[in-house]
Amino acid sequence: MKRQNHYPGESPWKGWLYLLPAFSIYLVFTFLPILETIRNSFYDWDGISLNRQWIGFENYVHLFQDQQFLNALLHNLVFIIFYSLIPIFLGLFLASLLSREPIRGFNFFRTVLFLPQVLSMVVVGVIWRWVFNPSFGPLNMLLRSIGLGAAARAWLGDFTWALPAVGSIGSWVQYGFCLILFLSGMQHIPEEYYEASSLDGAGAISQFWHITLPGLRSEISVALISTFVAALRVFDLVFTTTRGGPGDSTMVTGFLIYRSAFLQHQMGYASAIATVLMIIILSASVIIRHYQRSGEE
Amino acid sequence: MKKHSVLISLVIVAALLLASCQSGTSGTEQPTTASDETTLIVWDQFYRPVESQVMETLNREFEAAHAGVKIQREVKVLEDLELTLPLALSKTDGPDVAQVNQGRNSMGAMVAADLLLPLDDYLAKYQWSQVFSTSVASRNSFSPDGKTFGQGSLYGVSPTAEVVGVYYNKDIFKSNGWTIPATFEDFESLLGEIKAKGITPISFGSLDGWNAIHEFSAIQHLLVSKDYINNLTYGVNNVSFDTPENQQAAEILLDWSKKGYFTEGFAGIGYDDSNNLFKSGAGAMTITGSWLTGELLTGTDQQFGFFLLPGFKGQPAMAIGGVGIPFSIRKSTEKADLAAEYLNWMISPRAAELWAGAGILPAMALPENSQFDTSGLFGDTLNAWNSINKADMVGHYIDWATPTFGDTLTAELQKLLGGISTPADFTAAVQKDYAAFLASRQE
Repeated sequence: MKRQNHYPGESPWKGWLYLLPAFSIYLVFTFLPILETIRNSFYDWDGISLNRQWIGFENYVHLFQDQQFLNALLHNLVFIIFYSLIPIFLGLFLASLLSREPIRGFNFFRTVLFLPQVLSMVVVGVIWRWVFNPSFGPLNMLLRSIGLGAAARAWLGDFTWALPAVGSIGSWVQYGFCLILFLSGMQHIPEEYYEASSLDGAGAISQFWHITLPGLRSEISVALISTFVAALRVFDLVFTTTRGGPGDSTMVTGFLIYRSAFLQHQMGYASAIATVLMIIILSASVIIRHYQRSGEE
Repeated sequence: MKKHSVLISLVIVAALLLASCQSGTSGTEQPTTASDETTLIVWDQFYRPVESQVMETLNREFEAAHAGVKIQREVKVLEDLELTLPLALSKTDGPDVAQVNQGRNSMGAMVAADLLLPLDDYLAKYQWSQVFSTSVASRNSFSPDGKTFGQGSLYGVSPTAEVVGVYYNKDIFKSNGWTIPATFEDFESLLGEIKAKGITPISFGSLDGWNAIHEFSAIQHLLVSKDYINNLTYGVNNVSFDTPENQQAAEILLDWSKKGYFTEGFAGIGYDDSNNLFKSGAGAMTITGSWLTGELLTGTDQQFGFFLLPGFKGQPAMAIGGVGIPFSIRKSTEKADLAAEYLNWMISPRAAELWAGAGILPAMALPENSQFDTSGLFGDTLNAWNSINKADMVGHYIDWATPTFGDTLTAELQKLLGGISTPADFTAAVQKDYAAFLASRQE
């Protein structure tokens, strides 16, 4: 028998009508621009003039021979360490510290630790440019004052250190999000598990591995997807700190897209990069979701 | 490409939003004009209060001098102007006069689309060649197909100007008995002297990248010929970037860096931060453009002066410089003569006086009988500009040369100063970008 999704006498289209406002906004501001971007990626177009030239897959062929793009993609992978792995480890560590024993000033710590996450990225960039400033930044001053003056350097302008320096700003921003996510997840793990296991002689570390970690599986998956995506599409942080420099040592795909599209007037090429980046992000999300589901079964 | 900062871009975005709201309503509120009245529609991008005031004054005085003429002014932020202008110029009720940004992507594209009126007849009629040098004129010139930059017909006239030179801290100079060097050799020995005193000779920060191009190119301008810099910038006569002169300029820059003439840790310092350090008295000199003058006149207890980087053996030398965004005339306008009269007014001695009064460098000379005080820092920059403009020694922002040149130069200069590459690597890498651009135009 066919299932009735609507009341008798009611139009079967009524449900769709409710979807219309949200869907039309999604269509106009998200879906169509994505299609337009994909279409542009097959053209040679400066983004200004009225005529554009169909060149098929030429942008893509060029893309995978472009050392700059491959280099930028590599930096995105490095950013995954700083945006994703470090914050998740740090978040897990801090969350287990904060959640087990009731500590005084818990809300204060939680707020302070979460603060980086709510700041605008522009503000974050400005703050850290100051922290890293070789002339008057507190980081080098601190190093000099404790006798490590030899380690002081022009962090954001150093070919070796610029990428880790920008990356660690990313860790600072992301770990608060992971922390809050894990803290809320831990509240759903029944306290009895911990009590029972400690009666059986399990220590804190063993409890962490066998109770906390499995209990947070879906939170970790959410944290992984969202920080992963953030690492792959990072733009604002690079834009406000180094603009890809020195040389191209902090160049990432997001900034490359911006630069090609709006500064170098290669809209077609920029669209090709954006399309490839979108495919990478989508596949990464699908793979993570897949592993999360298969782990739950 | 001049000043970049996050704050500025934020302000621009905000202003863009405001401007777009305003432009939506302005169409409905236009006063109906009497039949004997002529309305000249003018679009400009002087939106900052001080600039805007100058434009208002100029417009009012123009109206007063031309009975029955009314100027309908519309102010837009540059980005907004660039986005809307091509469409507006293609309409019969579009702006009669508008500011059109220089370069291939803006003015070139509009010339190619046949939207702008060639000004050659008016150039002769008003004797504009007495007002600005040919080198200034070529910045606003294109071949009629819009493909060749720097020659062909004149399509715009610029009211304001910029020049890159050396700001120095007068207090530091005075207390050490240093004077403005007359030759490049003197300049270099001065750098050594300042360093020996334990003072930073040149306040500099290359974190933002673009301003490193000015440090390099300021030295380059002393070594190359005017023809070379024109050919390079306009992409004509197949010149190369990989030349002994460019390599020498890179070597000098690297040498300064190795000798510690720049701010310590300059690679990690932004443009604004390095200027703030200079403004607070840290550093004897800084090499940048005349746009910094206003900044250095307020909020500091230090006294500053400005001079042009002197030539080798004191020979007359070029300096990086240019003129601001020019005024152009819509090709399809029926009021071309009146529009040209307006353009002539925009580059009149009176306009020069008003711009100078607002602390903005005018592209044209001040009137002979001007009472303007030229003794201070602004006077220094004004004199510097006038001297290179009169001598036809205005160089170029070389990042105009190709659409990617600025980014390539920035990255390669950071590599050079970071010890990753040599001066020879530097010129070779930049030449690769330049050759690719020339080749792409042959297609």
